[in-house]
Amino acid sequence: MTATTMPATVSGLNHWAGLDEFEAFIDDGGMVEPGDAMPEVYRQEVFRFIEFHANSELMGGLTERDWIPKAPGLRLKQIFLAKTQDEIGHAHLLYMVAADMGVKGRTEMLEDLFSGRSRFHNVFHYQAVTWADQIAIAYLVDAAAFASQRAVFAQCSYGPYKRVLKRIVAEEGFHMRHGEEMLLRMAEGTPVQHQMFQEALNRWWWPAVQLFGPDSAPDDPLLRWKIKSERNEDLRDAYIQKYVPLLQGYRFQIPDDGVHFNEEAGKWVVSEIDWEPLKATMRQGGPDSKRRITNAANNWADTAWVRSAFNLEGAGAP
Amino acid sequence: MRVYEVFLKRAGKEEFRHAGALEAPDDQMALTYAREAYARRSEGAQMWLVQRANIVAADPADLATNQTKSHRHNDGSVIAARRKQKRAEAKAGGGND
Repeated sequence: MTATTMPATVSGLNHWAGLDEFEAFIDDGGMVEPGDAMPEVYRQEVFRFIEFHANSELMGGLTERDWIPKAPGLRLKQIFLAKTQDEIGHAHLLYMVAADMGVKGRTEMLEDLFSGRSRFHNVFHYQAVTWADQIAIAYLVDAAAFASQRAVFAQCSYGPYKRVLKRIVAEEGFHMRHGEEMLLRMAEGTPVQHQMFQEALNRWWWPAVQLFGPDSAPDDPLLRWKIKSERNEDLRDAYIQKYVPLLQGYRFQIPDDGVHFNEEAGKWVVSEIDWEPLKATMRQGGPDSKRRITNAANNWADTAWVRSAFNLEGAGAP
Repeated sequence: MRVYEVFLKRAGKEEFRHAGALEAPDDQMALTYAREAYARRSEGAQMWLVQRANIVAADPADLATNQTKSHRHNDGSVIAARRKQKRAEAKAGGGND
């Protein structure tokens, strides 16, 4: 028997003769593990996707954190503390999975995020104006993110990502229930509360719908390699079918003059989507991008002394 | 930084299971991170952390040789066939008794 000390991972070491053989393996339901000699295109694309997810969890966690002191009442403060910890925890798990792909280290990913060199979800480029905005994020935005994560978990050919997604999806499940409970309170609250949520909905509806992205390219490699299990437009449509009637049921108005139920198609239809706002966020040019990135970068700088105490990379100037 | 692999075991009969990995500067910080990242909601009653550098991993090719040793199993098909035949004979002969 030959033995080696672990280079990067516990399992794996598959080889494929070429991309065709690799894709046949994926088609048969094969799982790719970090030690496998995966094609470089797969490594790069999947890494980028997981890094984007990790960045989004971290930026989302920082958004939740901002509202801990402002959450009305002790129970909601506790919920927001727990949710913040969950989101930051998800970022930890995902950064580790991404780092094990051997493209960038954890510190490098964090520094790229804080210097605006890498991307994160469009919804964390907008300002949360009132508590109702935070509820819109906790329910509508999280529901959109949850739907897209579940669709990744459903198949997911990359083993370590699928395993951490199992935990992440389970935790997002009860975040959703917290979110819907908060929405219910606003919907059935005073007219002022109802109006407050309506205004938040006006700000968050389109960013939430845009979170799914424009229609998937016909040859999207992430679909081909079973990282995504559903096309962007299908996920977006399912979201619209669920949330338009749900919000109307709570007597809220969808901020879209064109929204209607098409009897013939038997489904809800929204106006044509303007993708410019989404593209702007991907260039860090969203309404609140600069403040959010600066804020996160300042946190990183302010905690340099901790890393320096442990003599870690990324300690930077004191 | 050191990389640790995290293993969790629930109370009861279940075995330790691999939960994931983390990076930490030392054992003490690794335990804190692991508790907060992997065991926030009673996912485990016990936890092991193993430094990845200390794991001795087998070459999968050495394990593969053990996947074709049919003489190490017996699926019972020969005996099952005989029982089936006996039942059929009993049923066929049952009418004349």
